[in-house]
Amino acid sequence: MPTTDSKALQEAIRRTLEHHSGGTRDARSVAEATLRTWQLMADRLAPVIGTKGVDTLFSYSLYLTCATYRWLEIAENHGENADLPASILARLSSREADAAAEAGYTLLVTFTELLATMIGESLTERLLLPAWVLPSLESKPGTKQETKP
Amino acid sequence: MNSKVKIKRLATGVPGLDEILGGGLPELSFNLIVGPPGSGKTTLAHQIMFSLATPEKPALFFTVLGEPPFKMLRYQQQFEFFDLDKISESIRFVNLSDEFAAGNFDQVLAQITREVETSSPALVFVDSFRAVMVETQQQAGAISKQQLIQRLGIQLSCWQATTFLIGEYLSTSAPNPLFTVADGLLSMEQSVQRNSMVRKMQVLKMRGQATLPGMHTFRISSAGIEVFPAAIIYGDTGKTKDTSGALRSKKRLTMGIPRLDDMLGGGLPSGYSLLVAGPSGSGKTILATAFLAEGVRLGEPGVIVAFEQTPSQSWVRTLDDMIRAGQIGLINTRSLDLSIDEIVQHLITLIRTMKATRVVIDSLSGFELAVAPTFREDFRESLFRMVAVLSGLGVTVLMTSELEDRYIDLRFSPYGAAFLTDAIIVQRYIEIGSRLQRVMAVVKIRASNHSIEIRRFEIDDGGINIGEPVLDYEGILGGQPARTKVHKMGDRGKL
Repeated sequence: MPTTDSKALQEAIRRTLEHHSGGTRDARSVAEATLRTWQLMADRLAPVIGTKGVDTLFSYSLYLTCATYRWLEIAENHGENADLPASILARLSSREADAAAEAGYTLLVTFTELLATMIGESLTERLLLPAWVLPSLESKPGTKQETKP
Repeated sequence: MNSKVKIKRLATGVPGLDEILGGGLPELSFNLIVGPPGSGKTTLAHQIMFSLATPEKPALFFTVLGEPPFKMLRYQQQFEFFDLDKISESIRFVNLSDEFAAGNFDQVLAQITREVETSSPALVFVDSFRAVMVETQQQAGAISKQQLIQRLGIQLSCWQATTFLIGEYLSTSAPNPLFTVADGLLSMEQSVQRNSMVRKMQVLKMRGQATLPGMHTFRISSAGIEVFPAAIIYGDTGKTKDTSGALRSKKRLTMGIPRLDDMLGGGLPSGYSLLVAGPSGSGKTILATAFLAEGVRLGEPGVIVAFEQTPSQSWVRTLDDMIRAGQIGLINTRSLDLSIDEIVQHLITLIRTMKATRVVIDSLSGFELAVAPTFREDFRESLFRMVAVLSGLGVTVLMTSELEDRYIDLRFSPYGAAFLTDAIIVQRYIEIGSRLQRVMAVVKIRASNHSIEIRRFEIDDGGINIGEPVLDYEGILGGQPARTKVHKMGDRGKL
């Protein structure tokens, strides 16, 4: 599903997800890592493009991701999207760990790519970099990076 | 204690803007940038911000109610001045559109204040507020949109920062407390006439410094905004030194065409403006090229503003060689939305860069076509300003003018340029023996003797060859040449 040629963004997201899940491979940890990463990215972006801008972009990313992972679909009229993060957490937690990890990763990469389409990869990377785990930190075993909100 | 406050002026980084502001932007001033949508307000603000912001003097850019931040960041990145390396370190964008849209104006004001107090920026931009500032319903005790803007204006003027409020005000003439509070007021506008768009800006107010009055055209390109200050006529204000007298030395320039210098009374006086008028194909451009080539031969660089000719033509090949060699500067444009100020600005820059002493404008007819329709009404006035500016620079100017051959009256230019210039050469066709022949005459040289003969001339690969005076015919300017009496008698004698 990811279409960008830039592997750097994809790798940064995968690295961050793995970092936040602490290496555990259960669906709940994967789901929480996805939401944690998403929240950090949203916190970085909201001051610049507004909460509504972030929410709109995220909703569209979810819509695109659901084309591949239909089980992630959240019906608007079910009232579930009133708390979208909680609904996504529930959806991801209910799947196999590998499937949840792949869906969560795809959702965040799609979101990042959409943003990059709008404002360019460089600016996207610049804005989101503080939300991601850097390679040097990730490669050191036992180190844990505190990402700034 | 007698030390007065000295206001530092910031270089905006926008070409031409500092000049119309009167030397730059006063530090710690509160400025309004106003104009309708699409007039370039955000682009101007960004260009200033990217130029001035540094890690030591950072900028805060609040988006309140303008274009969506997505769009703004997307499109502003297309400009060369948008430096990604400055984002975060020197420039921070803060979006407050959600709070503003929800009517939480107190929160908008509080958050702007909080952000400014926290990061102590040197530059603050708030983009943007709508024109009419219609009162909206608000909660009891809460401030209205209009109050927000006014309070914001007051706060912006009090912070230790150079601040900008960007707005779509409909009229800058309507009473508005903000205009009173602001130190600077910059108005931008755009107008479309036929298929040309012209952008103009005006400094309506800038405390503490003398601005350049009037509307100044500007252009937005990939490099950003470039302002073309309305040409100042040197010597007309008393502030700029009147050098025209000194520059108009007794030196005369050779024209590069045998016999023409004699017709001009010994060459064209240095610093003069010469109009070469004639019908299509009469050789005006060739004469102009010879004038420039002669300058090059004597080590006098020149500049040509070309509007008409195509590179395939032989004279352009001669000219092209000189341009390639860096001996002649070229301004070649076929754009149809120019302002004369824009051309003059480029011309002045090129003249100064090349230290040029000879300038050719070929031709006024092409110039008029290239100028946006909105400026055509003032073409003559602008032409006058341009000639005066060039004269002030001390260069010698040769302008060509397409002139329809008329045999009922004697005209030299459709723009009244004959009055504006110091010298005039007119070229015409005459019909003799069912053949067209070219003739040339010097009509006027201000304060100088010159030949009053009408001389035949021919054009060959070597250029213009001026022949003998037309003594055998009379009435040629009236379109009905007749043999003069002396020559008639001579003709009979031959029989």
